[in-house]
Amino acid sequence: MFNLTNLVQKAQQLIEPTLSIAGPTSSERDRRPSKATLFRHQFRLPESQSPLQEITAELTLSPHHTTRGTPGDVTSPEKERGQGNHYVGKLHLSEQYLCFSTQGSSFLNSASLSSSSSFTGQTHGAGPAGNGFTLPLCAIRRVERLHSQSYMFALAITTWNGLADSKSKNAVPSGQKLTVQLAGSRIQCERFCDGLKKGLREGVREVENLRAVVMQCYSEYLLSEDGDDKSHGDGGKKTREHPDTGLGMVFKYPGNARKLRDATKIRLWREYLRENGRSATLIRQPTFHKLIRVGLPNRLRGEIWELTSGAFFLRLQNPKLYTETLAKYSGRESLAIDEIEKDLNRSLPEYPGFQSEEGIGRLRRVLTAYSWTNADVGYCQAMNIVVAALLMYVRPWLTLILSNTSRYQSETQAFFLLSILCDRLLPGYYSTTMYGTLLDQRVFESLVEKTMPILWDHLVKYDVQLSVVSLPWFLSLYINSMPLIFAFRVLDVFFLEGPKVLFQIGLAILRINGEELLDATDDGTFISVLKSYFARLDESAHPKSENPKLRAVTRFQELMVVAFKEFAGITQNTISEQRAKHKDLVLANIESFAKRTSIRNLGPESKRLSVNDLSFLYDRFFATVYAREQRALIMQQEADRKAKAGKAKATEIVTGFAGSSVEQGRVGLGPSDTQMDYDGFREFLAGIAKWAVTDSPSPPPESNGTQSPHSYFGGSTRTRPPMSQWGSGPEPADHDFMKRLFRRWDTDMTDALTLQNVVTGFAQVKGTKDIMSNISYFFELYDDDGDGRVDREGILRISEALLFLSRRGLGDTASPSPSLTDLHAGSPERGNRDEQFLSSVSAFIRRCFEYADPDHPSNQGNRDVDEVKDDLDNFAIGADDEDDLIDFGSEPNTPVANSPSQSKHHTKTPLSPVTSTTNPLTPTQSNSSDKDRHLKAKEANLALDPNKPLHITLPTFRMVILADEILEQFFEIGFSASFKLADAPLPSSASSSSNLTTFSNAGKQVAANAAVGMAGVVGGAGAGVVPPGKGLRGMLDNIVSDGMRVAAEVRRRMDEAQKEMDREAKSGQGRERDEDDEEEERGEVGAKDADLLEGAETADVDTRSGSTPDLLGAPQEGTEVKTTRNRSASDASRRVLEFER
Amino acid sequence: MADSGASQPKPSSSVKLVLLGEAAVGKSSLVMRFVNNDFQENKEPTIGAAFLTQKCNLPTRTIKFEIWDTAGQERFASLAPMYYRNAQAALVVYDITKPSSLTKAQHWVAELQRQASPGIVIALVGNKYDLASPSGGDNAEDADAAPAAEGENPEEEDSADARRVPTKTAKAYADEESLLFFETSAKTGMNVAEVFTAIANAIPETSLKGPRGVGGQTNLNRQEDARVNLTGGRAEGPKEGCAC
Repeated sequence: MFNLTNLVQKAQQLIEPTLSIAGPTSSERDRRPSKATLFRHQFRLPESQSPLQEITAELTLSPHHTTRGTPGDVTSPEKERGQGNHYVGKLHLSEQYLCFSTQGSSFLNSASLSSSSSFTGQTHGAGPAGNGFTLPLCAIRRVERLHSQSYMFALAITTWNGLADSKSKNAVPSGQKLTVQLAGSRIQCERFCDGLKKGLREGVREVENLRAVVMQCYSEYLLSEDGDDKSHGDGGKKTREHPDTGLGMVFKYPGNARKLRDATKIRLWREYLRENGRSATLIRQPTFHKLIRVGLPNRLRGEIWELTSGAFFLRLQNPKLYTETLAKYSGRESLAIDEIEKDLNRSLPEYPGFQSEEGIGRLRRVLTAYSWTNADVGYCQAMNIVVAALLMYVRPWLTLILSNTSRYQSETQAFFLLSILCDRLLPGYYSTTMYGTLLDQRVFESLVEKTMPILWDHLVKYDVQLSVVSLPWFLSLYINSMPLIFAFRVLDVFFLEGPKVLFQIGLAILRINGEELLDATDDGTFISVLKSYFARLDESAHPKSENPKLRAVTRFQELMVVAFKEFAGITQNTISEQRAKHKDLVLANIESFAKRTSIRNLGPESKRLSVNDLSFLYDRFFATVYAREQRALIMQQEADRKAKAGKAKATEIVTGFAGSSVEQGRVGLGPSDTQMDYDGFREFLAGIAKWAVTDSPSPPPESNGTQSPHSYFGGSTRTRPPMSQWGSGPEPADHDFMKRLFRRWDTDMTDALTLQNVVTGFAQVKGTKDIMSNISYFFELYDDDGDGRVDREGILRISEALLFLSRRGLGDTASPSPSLTDLHAGSPERGNRDEQFLSSVSAFIRRCFEYADPDHPSNQGNRDVDEVKDDLDNFAIGADDEDDLIDFGSEPNTPVANSPSQSKHHTKTPLSPVTSTTNPLTPTQSNSSDKDRHLKAKEANLALDPNKPLHITLPTFRMVILADEILEQFFEIGFSASFKLADAPLPSSASSSSNLTTFSNAGKQVAANAAVGMAGVVGGAGAGVVPPGKGLRGMLDNIVSDGMRVAAEVRRRMDEAQKEMDREAKSGQGRERDEDDEEEERGEVGAKDADLLEGAETADVDTRSGSTPDLLGAPQEGTEVKTTRNRSASDASRRVLEFER
Repeated sequence: MADSGASQPKPSSSVKLVLLGEAAVGKSSLVMRFVNNDFQENKEPTIGAAFLTQKCNLPTRTIKFEIWDTAGQERFASLAPMYYRNAQAALVVYDITKPSSLTKAQHWVAELQRQASPGIVIALVGNKYDLASPSGGDNAEDADAAPAAEGENPEEEDSADARRVPTKTAKAYADEESLLFFETSAKTGMNVAEVFTAIANAIPETSLKGPRGVGGQTNLNRQEDARVNLTGGRAEGPKEGCAC
């Protein structure tokens, strides 16, 4: 069963991170990410945050020697005005954060899209760009309003900077001060301040939480040292323990620390952090971006990654998620875990840390925890490499400071970084279909085409596929392409500036190697050129240069310069646009591949169905499942919206969710084990078998009420929300038979069907041509306890099912072939053959009871109840048959077309006029046969004494079936043919009963007056209602009378049609169609009157066969039908003969 | 590489070969053994695909294999068409200690037969022969006989024989689909070279003159030149990064 909430969450996960991968819908509006999403991406905030308030403001920071001296700062021209640094920008308030950015983007609902998405900084909205801060409200210690002359409102904010220190020493935390002047009307400012106050009050609770998280940051340790201690902490036997800064601390960081000038970097960072706050209270000034571009020092790397990527805020929000996840799933198995185990020893294996149990253990726990929190992604190769790389730097503090944290918590940081990576920075990269990866490859190719047309032409000319080279770059973030030290430099920038960095680096690589790549004429050479380039990244870019400074520039530095200068034009927006452009094609490719593969892998059972059928089933299956998912989602949203109408959330739903909800439901997006519940199964069947379409679509809510006693089927469908849960398709019926089929196919007992279940199920039904196995299949469906017996109840249910299945007419194939007709037309013992299906069914019941074995008289207690129930069922059967009549009547698309009854099947409008005429118990035209019927019924009833429990066994059942040719044919072909797969038109597309076209054509000549007559018949036909007391007899009576009714009508119309035909009297063609007529006719002929009618009927056949005109214009499937029917019929007759012998 | 001596101007042509199979069956190790005659116990999983080349000398000609070693994890399967495109040969690898990997291999064979270039030479390779019991390892007959006890036998954990896929089963399947069939050990090197030689021999002469083979020889030489240049550094003709 679908877990709806889970689904909605999933949808949001899927939608929210994909700032750029918007829905596949064409509407431009739908492709827009919501304002809230943009806001969260801009400041890398958790999903729980939304923009509440914003105001233009100027930030003033007290002057420091490092930041003041920064030359060439473009983004803050107001700097140096007055004291300290001034930045003009926007101040944003969310539930738990106060953010400032020098970029003027606005996330108000009233703001235009361009103003909230036109980013100018380095990150272009994909990360904390520009200068400013992202302060958790709990990190603010105090806000004061200043008296200011030039501004109406000025706030002095004191933060909890150095919070951790304050506890260990009892000094007052150093706490930096910032001044923010708000520029706006008084009302605006006050509103903002009110919001801030409220948020701060809430935030107070979080302070201890913050302290715990901050305590473990390396920056705290770094700054707690004496400022002069340049030996970055190794000598520090101080009051605090050195926080664990990743495996590198024990197993050494890659690269030569001296060459990387690690000590210098640490010194610069220490200065920067001292002046601009650390961890939660860090303020971004221009130096910050520069320090990141030159590469982070080893020990700070983890912390800064965490901060810039936003993983820090996730951890702050839910510090225990990691441990809890591990604890919750401890000992559980999954496919992902198996896959993870395979790769644990294969992740950066040359690094000593991953030759140790400690390193492997960390890797295992982080990957496992993630696979549980995001089961849709699970585990994808390449994640192991990325996580292994993260773990070198990311702190898992071995020596625990906090007593209440368990040992496992150590990898929390890596865990949240991984979450941010997979969910936000690299959407869809590691999903089961890897559509994100493939999409970005397409995007990369198109960027190459745009920026390096000559190289692109070369690639096209020599048929070199770029993605075979570039795919691993993106998937493993260059970690296994470049030497580690350089890959980490890329990561430093990537975490701050977002996914566009990967593209910029990739383009720069191609640009730098352009000359040589133009000489490469195949994939292999292409790859080796780049391989050797990566191997020499540390060499000088200009080894021959005279200028020693130029000579000192390494190839990697050159790469960074080219990437960020020459390709500065590649922004997050560029990438979003390209993604949107290529998305559909990429998904379509994946889907066709997935379809091909999954059809091929359906197992041996599936071979019994044709490839077309399988393909059809596949499409139909997923179409149904996804359509339902989507409808559920939309309905859910509607409900949500109603629930909290008017609130800010509502607009979010409108702008963001509703639009992108269409995102759900594509195979390409990677759900691997989609399942269909029972309702889904009904809908699925309704598109395949016409009997599965309900007769009484449930009325729209307005006209609800006790409309008609007609609603056996309709009544059982649930009361619906405004939108039909069936979408635009036909509303499916709900019948015991369908339930049984569902249960039967649900071999795993999961209460849901997979594609495999459905295909296997169909293979059993349709794949076999063996009547015996079909019969036993049917029997088993009704053998509830599997003891090989079906009791009285079961027998009635079977007959009910047979009627249910046949109420729209049977497949064409159910009628005997002409040759057979000729053969046996005269033979008296074949008289039964002419009986119509209904009469066959009642005969079936009669025979069943005749041949049934008596039961032990033990379980009789609930007979009466059963009978009442039967009556109800019985009633439904009556209703079905009326529908048949309506069908016949409404089929002609001549004047009759507007007959009210037609709407019943072809549209979904409620059918009050018809139903009202249908129900009264007016006498039928078949009055004359009534007596006969009652006689027969009584006779049958002798066997129905409820005091004699009985059952039939499979052999009996088989015998009874085989005794009746109509039934035999039904089991031979009719049943399986009633499922229309690939090769047959869908009932929904054509008329709902294609096999009745004969009648519709016949009806053409009969024209309007027939239809009028029809209405009368329909009116009189509702004879099905029986007072409860009459029990089984009533049931049988109904069956019989229904048969009579149909027969009478059919006969009347046949005669008219016959007259027409005779008049036209073309000869020879379309015989099989004609046979259909006869078959139908014979079929409908009065149940127990068969004997009376027999003579006339056969005579009729004789006169007509061979000389009937083609009324149909020879539909092409005619011949096909003919042959199968031929075979089956002769088969059938043989069996019957055997049986009778 | 060994004897591409100029004295022996045998016709040389490149063949694109792709390796497919479930994760961790030893695809990369096979290639590693073939190309470098080396074996690494814990090899990093392949991301996307790895590319390597190796020559194979036949009496009449030299075949240069361009080997695409693909990632094995299920979700990478959708990338595979990118790699087997235009391939003339394929190595479908399974692990003789894991029956499921043979099933996966069969899926790959089916995929190749339908989607890859027609006439592709497919070899089915059961790797990790070194894990099969030594008693069964003497010759093929034994290997056939031993697993008569059948693969799915969880209780036969006594011996060191981790084999779960009987040679017979796989061989029968290979015959049915007319695939080349080998059991190999990348660890010991058993049969590895043989697989590639057999493939080289099975490549029809005509397909070497196919689309990829056009001017294969001159092409090759040019590439070799390029590579020499490469090692010499970019000094020769770097016109500062304006490839376009």
